[in-house]
Formats: sequence, structure tokens, C-alpha cells
Amino acid sequence: MGTQKTINSLQVFLTEVGDISYFAGRFFTDVFKRPFEFKEFLRQCYNMGNRSLLLVGVTGFIIGLVFTLQSRPTLQEFGAVAWMPSMVGISIIREIGPIITALICAGRIGSGIGAELGSMRVTEQIDAMEVSGTNPFKYLVITRILATTFMLPILVIIGDAIALYGSYLVENIKGDVSFQLYFSEVFSSLEFGDVIPSTIKSFFFGFAIGLVGCYKGYNCDKGTEGVGLAANSAVVYTSLLLFVIDFVAVLVADLFYEL
Amino acid sequence: MKKNTINSNAVITIRDLKKSYGDNYVLNGFNLDLYEGENLVIMGKSGSGKSVMIKCLIGLEEHDSGTVIIMGKNIDDLDHDELDELRTEIGFLFQGSALYDSMSVRENLEFPLRRHTKKFGEINDASPLVMEALESVGLARAVDLMPSELSGGMKRRIALARTLILKPQIILYDEPTTGLDPITSKEIVLLMKSVQEKYKTSSIIITHDVDCARAISNRMILLVDGINYAEGTYEELVEMEDPKIKAFFK
Amino acid sequence: MKALDKTTAQKIKLAIFVIAGLSLFILGVYLIGNQQSMFGSNARIFATFNNINGLKIGNNVRYGGLNVGTVKGIRMVNDSTIVVDLTIKKDALGYIRKNAKAALGTDGLVGNMIINIVPGSEEIGLLNAEDTIHSYRRITTEDMLSTLNVTNENAAMLTADLLKITRAINSGEGTISYLLKDSTMALNLEQSIRYFRQTAASTSKMISHMDDLIVSLNNKNNVIGLLRDSVTANQLKSVVSNLETTGNDMNKLVANLNATVTRAKEGDGAINYLSNDKSLVKKIDTSVNSLDATLHNLNEASIKLNENLEALKHNILFRGYFKKLEKEKEKQLEKEIK
Repeated sequence: MGTQKTINSLQVFLTEVGDISYFAGRFFTDVFKRPFEFKEFLRQCYNMGNRSLLLVGVTGFIIGLVFTLQSRPTLQEFGAVAWMPSMVGISIIREIGPIITALICAGRIGSGIGAELGSMRVTEQIDAMEVSGTNPFKYLVITRILATTFMLPILVIIGDAIALYGSYLVENIKGDVSFQLYFSEVFSSLEFGDVIPSTIKSFFFGFAIGLVGCYKGYNCDKGTEGVGLAANSAVVYTSLLLFVIDFVAVLVADLFYEL
Repeated sequence: MKKNTINSNAVITIRDLKKSYGDNYVLNGFNLDLYEGENLVIMGKSGSGKSVMIKCLIGLEEHDSGTVIIMGKNIDDLDHDELDELRTEIGFLFQGSALYDSMSVRENLEFPLRRHTKKFGEINDASPLVMEALESVGLARAVDLMPSELSGGMKRRIALARTLILKPQIILYDEPTTGLDPITSKEIVLLMKSVQEKYKTSSIIITHDVDCARAISNRMILLVDGINYAEGTYEELVEMEDPKIKAFFK
Repeated sequence: MKALDKTTAQKIKLAIFVIAGLSLFILGVYLIGNQQSMFGSNARIFATFNNINGLKIGNNVRYGGLNVGTVKGIRMVNDSTIVVDLTIKKDALGYIRKNAKAALGTDGLVGNMIINIVPGSEEIGLLNAEDTIHSYRRITTEDMLSTLNVTNENAAMLTADLLKITRAINSGEGTISYLLKDSTMALNLEQSIRYFRQTAASTSKMISHMDDLIVSLNNKNNVIGLLRDSVTANQLKSVVSNLETTGNDMNKLVANLNATVTRAKEGDGAINYLSNDKSLVKKIDTSVNSLDATLHNLNEASIKLNENLEALKHNILFRGYFKKLEKEKEKQLEKEIK
């Protein structure tokens, strides 16, 4: 019984992974085919980029603030408060900024896509598009995946900047560090080996959020329950996938840039 | 009955259509001919495969076997672009209207036009076409509303306007009166009739609403156990003694 | 028209968002690149080292404390020479002389390695691109300790000599003892005694400083013990042992002085001779005083050393080690109590 159950769940898991891979494959074959739904792409960019900005900004700001406040006492004990900008800079740019932003977006954008496409599937809007001669995969899925892929890195960069600003505020108030000193310290400790991999990683994060959200919504089960499930599992699967990508990205970055 | 022969007047011909989900055969050798200018009503219990049939017809679902010929073209032989082109000649009114929630009524109506430049040429201003379609369903005033601001009956009419904007030769109605109150249902049926007169369309209407069927049908097919169980006019079917048929007209 | 306005506004906002993000990115890349001297006109020079102490590519190069470039490459050319490739801003190159030297340093106590370019003398011409400069050996703590050791050895020798002199006086050898035997000195006995008293007081002060020194060194035993196994520790040990010898010698010296004084008091013939030579007593007094000052200095030096070691204790790097040591001590104490 136990092994049968394991085999079954393994089968379900593998089917899911296979389906997502197939879905991603369809994305890559269709993305270069005409016609391009450029207007819809822009609309989605606006929805995902601008509309997430406030959330990402507030989160980034608080993370920068809290991170600095939390690590300050420890550094103070070592008499190394002067290292704060470098430490905060490196950890935010390399890891915290991308992963926090991506998780926030998985919650906001991923579930949004899952629910939107799911309800469109349930209410036959996707069928209606198909029937009216518009390829819904191109119109709905490709635009969304592209939008998340391109918007997430920008959100990450802005989130990083805001987080660093939050950290600077703490340093400024507690340690009387000037704006110029803080940021020149931050940038003197950073290298391209920090910025480039984390930016590339952000593209993959964005792609994962769009892909899983669209997959879950597009293949939603009929019924209201299906929509909720699609939105929910989009977030769960995306969050998991984000950490896997993060892990792989660190390994790969390690190969290219010596740490 | 001229079974298994293709009538020259037929715009749609279905022969021996089979479709199953797992071991469950929903359609088991269904046949149908739709002649030019007629309103064909297909009746059946819910779950009898009416919706599946109509979706196989337009290529939303793949059928297991059988042939579907629309306006002389076998849909199995068409690639995606050709199928899209054929679909401009077919309007489909969905059960739940299926208006795009995120778009206004105007954008909903413009949507089918955006990929059909072949039929209409390059459209610089879709407004006249949108207004024309809206006027034929009597809802020109709703042009800037969002679908969430519309009542069920209005949604149905806007959906009809959306199918009409491509000026199709065939309209497929999937349960056009479900979920509407009797008065609104009657309005929709009247609207369907006027549309048919105006646009000279041939229609397949799927319904389990007997009143609607009587009002609109030229001919009816009863879909029972996955096959066309009985065919004829409304009056002919009412007269039949078969208990399975009688069950529909109680 | 209303709908059109809405999408136009959206497009503008999107554009602002994208431009803001991209310009932040470009700004960041520019600032980082700037730090690594990737932009602007640069020149390449080389520096040779015997030991680069873990210098890495990308470390900063400073001239007079100002960042002027970065390390671009490191390569070995033979068994004892490492050539470091430096990228220097062109405008900084206009101030560096041909005989300028490169020195390794750290940015802060535990920071990154840096290369300091130490200015050369003015009469030599300016450095050109692709030139090579030489490097200084780094001054280490070891060097400082070995210098201190030599100082201490000298102090030990000094006291040993002083001991010989006093002994000779005591045993009545040489000129001084001859003078002591001279009978014309008797009249100044009182004065001499007074001087001797002063001498004795100075000596006791000196002894107490000596004592302080020994005590402070003793206190540091644990600190010094830390470094037990290193070369530095051995040197420190020899410093201490020298100081010990010095102390012993000093004791003997004092004892001899005592004997001298006693004999003078007892009124052997010596008193007369001795009292006649005030200057000699004065000399002894000053020499003892200066010895005292030396010891005082030594004591201060040892206190400073102690302070340094104390500071080292508080240094973050060694902190854990010291803490561990204390813990071990406590454990031992507990064991003893049991």
C-alpha cells in the first residue's frame, strides 16, 4: 500500500513536471512566431511592473531597515560598524533583494495570473478567444510570461535601491554616516560578479513566476474550486521553484565568478 | 432519411462522430446535417454530450473518430491558420456569455476583429462595426460599460453582438437561455430570430429548454446515449410514443 | 476617447518605471566599474614583490592614501619574484616618480589588502606606462620584537659592567680603591655619608621600579604564554630572562654597595679615603640614577607592551582565542577546587 501510494504520487509529480516542461516548450516555440501581441504585452507589463512597485518598494524598504538594525549590534560588538554598508550591500544585491522581490511577486503576480487565467478558463473566455480566431496561448500566456520575465529584474533593481536606502537611513540616524560615504562604501565592495549573476537570476525568477502562474491558470479545472486551487498552487509551486532556481543560479555563478 | 450521404445544401455535415473521456463514451456515432438558412435545435439531457459535440464541431475539443465537414472543408485537414479563417464564418455564443472581464464592451466587440484582417481588410476604425452589431442586439448605449456592470440578459446580448461582428454564416448557440428568467429568455429567442432574418445565418441551437426549442426550431435532433436518437420538426417529435422522447415534452 | 487616454497614461507610467529601473542599473554598473577603474583612461604599470601576502585581483592601489587604480593581474616570474599588474589612472601617473616603491598594506586591521605606492625622490624623472617599480619589505611585529630584544640585551650588559665596577671598588682594586685608601678624605665624611644616603634612596626607588617591572611582566605571563610556541614567544622569553639577569645583577650591586657603606661607617681606614672624594660618590649616584631612569623607562615600556597585549586581547580576531583561554583557566580552577 505504502509503496503504491509513493509510486502514484511520484507519477503525479512527474506528470506535472512533464506538463510544465511541455508548456514551457510551447512557450519557446510560439514566442518567436507572428503575430506579436505587443499591446497586451505592454498592458501586462504595466499591471505587473507598476502595480507591484508599491508592494516591492515597501517590502524592500522594511527589509533594508530591519536587516541593518538587526545586524548592527553584532557588528558593533566586533567594532566593525564601518563594514555595515559593504555587508548590507552585498547581501541585498546578491541574494535578499532578488529572492524577496521574487517571492513577493510570486504572491502577487503569480496568484493573480493563476486566478485570472483560471477564471477565464472556467467561464470559457479562453475558448471564446480560440473561436474568435485569436490564439489565446499567444495572447494570454506568452505576453504574461514575457512581462514577468522583463519586469522582475527591474523590480529587483528598484527594490534593491530602496532597501539600500532604508539601510542607509538607519546608518545615518544611528551612526551618523553620510549619504555619499554610505553609497561609496556599498559600491566599493560590490563587483560585477555580484550584480550580473543576480540580475540574470532575476530574469529566471520572473520567467518561473509567469510560467507556473500561466500553466496553473491555463490548465485550470472547471468550477470555482478550480480557480482557487489554480491560484493557490501557482504560488506554492512558484515559491518552491524560485528556491530551486536560486540554488542552481548560485552554483552556476560560482563556476563563472570565483567567490 | 438520407443517411451517410453528403447533401449539397448542407453547410455542416457530421458523420459517425465519436468522443470518449477514458472509458466513458459521450458521443458514440453521432450524425448531423445542417442545411442553409435553417435553425436546427439539438436537445438532450445535461451531460448527454451536446456541448462536447458542438466543441468538437468547432475544434475546441478533438474528436476520437468520425468526420466533420464545415462548408465543404474537413476540419481534420486544416492547419491552425486555416481553421482560424474558417472560424470567422462561424459565430459561437457560449453558455455563460464568456465576455472578457478585463475589457469594456467596446473592446470585447473589437477583439474578434483584430485577427481577421483577411475578411475585412485593414480596419482603421472599428467603431461603425461595433455600433452596428450593438444596435442589432439593441444595446448601443452599453458600449463603454464593463461586463461586470451588465445584467445576465445584457451579457448574453453583448455576447451575441460579439459573434455577429464577424458577420458569420453559421451561429452555434450553446444553451442561449440557461440561467435567464423566462421573460428575458423570450427576449433572447426573439432576438435570435431577428438576427437570423437580418444576417441570413444557419444556426445550431443546443438547449434543454422546450419553449425555446418550439419557438425557434425548423428541425430538431434529440441526442440520447451519444447518438441522434430522433429527428424531425417539433410537432413530429411531440407526437412520438417512445418513452425516452416523451420524457422531453412533459 | 476616454479609454485611449487611459492606455496612453499607462504607457507613460510604464515607460517611467522601466527607465527608472534601467537607469538605476546603469548607475550601479557605472559606479562599480568606476571603482574598478574600468572606465576612463588608464595606464598599466608593474610592481615586483617577494611576497604578496594574499593580494587579489581587484584590490585597490593607493598613492598618498588616494585610490588611483586596481590590481589587474598577478603572476610569478621566478622562484622568489611575483609581478603584479597595476592599472593606474593616467592623471595620477603624472605624479609618480621612477623610484617610487610599492608596499603592501591592509585596509583597516582585517580589511582587504591594498598596495600603497610610496613617493620617490623628486630629482628622479616621472614614471611611464609599462614601467616596473620595486617594493618594500613589509615591517612586521616580529621585526619590532627583535629590535626590543637587542635593546634589552644592551641593558643587561650595561648592568653587568656596573656590577664589575662596584665589585672592584669593594675589593680594593685599581684607582678607585687606591683613592679610597687615601688618608686625606676624612674631613668630608659627613658630606659623603649624605650623598650615600641619597644614593641609597635612589637605589631603593630603582629597586621598586624594578619590582614593578617584574610584577607587570609577571602579570603578563598568561599573555606571553599564549605565544609560547612561536618565534615571537621565544624572543619575548629571552627579553624576560635578560631582564631577570639584570635584576639579579642589580641585587648583587646593591648588596655590594651596602657592604661599602657599612665599612665606611665602621670607620676602617677606608672612611677617610672615601670622604675625601665627593665627586666619585656623586658619580656613583648619578650612574645609579640613570640606571634607575633606564629601568623606569623599561618599566614603562613593559606597561605599554602589556597595554598592547591587552588591546590585542580586545581585538575581535584574537578575542575568541582569549576567551577560550580564560575558559580553560576556569576549568582548571574548578578542577583544583574539586
